[in-house]
Amino acid sequence: MWRPCGIFDETYRQDMAIVRTPLRWGVLTVSVGVLLAAPLFCSYYIVSVLNTLAITVIAVLGLQIVTGYCGQVSFGQAAFMAVGAYSSAILTEKLGLSFWIAMPVAGVITGMYGLLGGAPSMRIKGFYLAVATIAIHFVTMWLVQHLEITGKSVGLPVSPPQIGPFAFDSDERMFYIIIPVMLAMTYGARNIVRTRVGRAFVAVRDNDLAAQVMGINIYYYKLLAFFISCFYAGVAGSLWAHYHGVCHPEQFQLLRGLWYIGMLIVGGLGSIPGVFFGVILIRALDESVLMLSPYFAQWFPWLGTAPAAGLGLSAFGLVLALFLIKEPRGLAHRWEIMKASIRLYPFAY
Amino acid sequence: MTEFLQLLVIGLLEGGLYAMVAVAMVLVYKSTHVVSLAHGQFMGFGALAFWFVLVQLKMPIVVALVLALCFAAAVGWAVERFAMRPLIGQPLFAAFLTTFATFLMMDGLFQLILKGESASFAAYLPLGSISVAGKPLPTTQLASFGASLLLFAGLAVFFRFTKVGLGMRATAEDHQLAQSTGITVRSIFSYIWMLSTVVATFAGIALANVSDIYFTLPYMGIKGLIVALVGGLDSLPGALLAGLLLGVLENVSAGYLDPIVGGGVKEVAAYVLLLLVLLIRPYGLLGLVRIERI
Repeated sequence: MWRPCGIFDETYRQDMAIVRTPLRWGVLTVSVGVLLAAPLFCSYYIVSVLNTLAITVIAVLGLQIVTGYCGQVSFGQAAFMAVGAYSSAILTEKLGLSFWIAMPVAGVITGMYGLLGGAPSMRIKGFYLAVATIAIHFVTMWLVQHLEITGKSVGLPVSPPQIGPFAFDSDERMFYIIIPVMLAMTYGARNIVRTRVGRAFVAVRDNDLAAQVMGINIYYYKLLAFFISCFYAGVAGSLWAHYHGVCHPEQFQLLRGLWYIGMLIVGGLGSIPGVFFGVILIRALDESVLMLSPYFAQWFPWLGTAPAAGLGLSAFGLVLALFLIKEPRGLAHRWEIMKASIRLYPFAY
Repeated sequence: MTEFLQLLVIGLLEGGLYAMVAVAMVLVYKSTHVVSLAHGQFMGFGALAFWFVLVQLKMPIVVALVLALCFAAAVGWAVERFAMRPLIGQPLFAAFLTTFATFLMMDGLFQLILKGESASFAAYLPLGSISVAGKPLPTTQLASFGASLLLFAGLAVFFRFTKVGLGMRATAEDHQLAQSTGITVRSIFSYIWMLSTVVATFAGIALANVSDIYFTLPYMGIKGLIVALVGGLDSLPGALLAGLLLGVLENVSAGYLDPIVGGGVKEVAAYVLLLLVLLIRPYGLLGLVRIERI
């Protein structure tokens, strides 16, 4: 483990801690405190944006584990989210379980489903697997639209979570479920990637033959990565369903899974903070396009009256291509460079 | 039995179109080893250019076709020059993801141009239907199918007898060897992309002739990718075979299974076929068998 000059870990506990220095504790406490207090001083709209961001972060964290750490690209995260959302909806509405049990159970169900999704990785890798996950997405969504239990193309209504008589039925109330879950999932992801399992993932990603020679069961670890990733997707989907109050096939289109991969690339593959950078940057891009699109419609009348969707997609594709060509390691790499230069200031190295 | 025959023939006609899209992808993969997701958009934009010249500018069909193909070649050149060439020497996966970024970028533009409407052609091919074995077959589909067969013949001639075509085949064998015999691999890459966008445009025009230009047209590119994978990414005959196979499979399975499961089999049959082929023969039906550990 690389440590900057002047930092000495004196005990085993200190060496193993996720948050190691007092400065980091301070920054973390303040930022989490500000985040949790956000509904007090932020508008309704910002709280709803934060909710969506946090759910996206959970889904992309899962994708980071399977794609960024284990190297298996999955375009099917949207379909796995759908599995989570629908299983959570069925568990709460049809079987009458409470949300607090349904959410983790939906995660596990999605994880099991993800084992099915990861099964082709036994025979194929690289873009073959990526295309196979596209196929899995379409097959899953076809099932969702044709099975009786998922309400076919109409979808399912979902009731908000409750503690006793207290219902989490507004954006501000859901905020206090979504954000703690996101924090817990982030903590979990950070832990997973530095354990034996996480190191095995990285070994499989970097050179699968070498990993196998070292005694890593590649197929087991690929499936495990898919399981963990889909667990994250399932939890995100469950939160999504209970937040929006409805499950509908239109919510989980292929494009959503593609956006998640894009966020991952922009943020940086193989980095947990990168997930946050990517999600926030892409969302900010989307919001700014949304804000600017009326002006674009005025300046360029041929764009039509509602250019937001098309413009947003184009801008996203452009940013993605620029990152792939100019900065393939993503924003996380820039962040590391910035931290190092601040630490060394005023020296160059 | 006659029902089966009709499903078979319609499937073959549709399969010819799928095969054309797949051929465009196989061309790129053979020479550059890049799997392209962007070809669906090349189809869409080619068809759109054709539509613009034919319907908006009211030019004759030949002019529209030539202009659309020139436009396609320009798009192919631009994609190769600005998205693919900076990535030479990078992992192939980065190039794959860049074609995906290109797809998104062009998808946005496509939606901006269409604005949620569909662009349809006035009938420029003879309408009506020909009766084959007592069953009617639409002529527009027959014409599209004929065009795709012509295209295949043209490609075969091109690869066998022209200097650039031979250079492309040499490049597909080995980049360094090709370079040492005096072939400029870089310009071959450029030509390959241009040729492949031209083929994709052909496919787009043929598809738009059967169904109008709608925002879902570029997503037919995914079907093309499936056909290319099923046939083997580096095999042109494989693309033709798999295209016809997929067309027949979709129509026959839809014809017989739709009444049982309640519709929509056609949308999902291709993906099920893809998953099966990837699990059983990952290199495709006629693709080069690579020996490697997964």
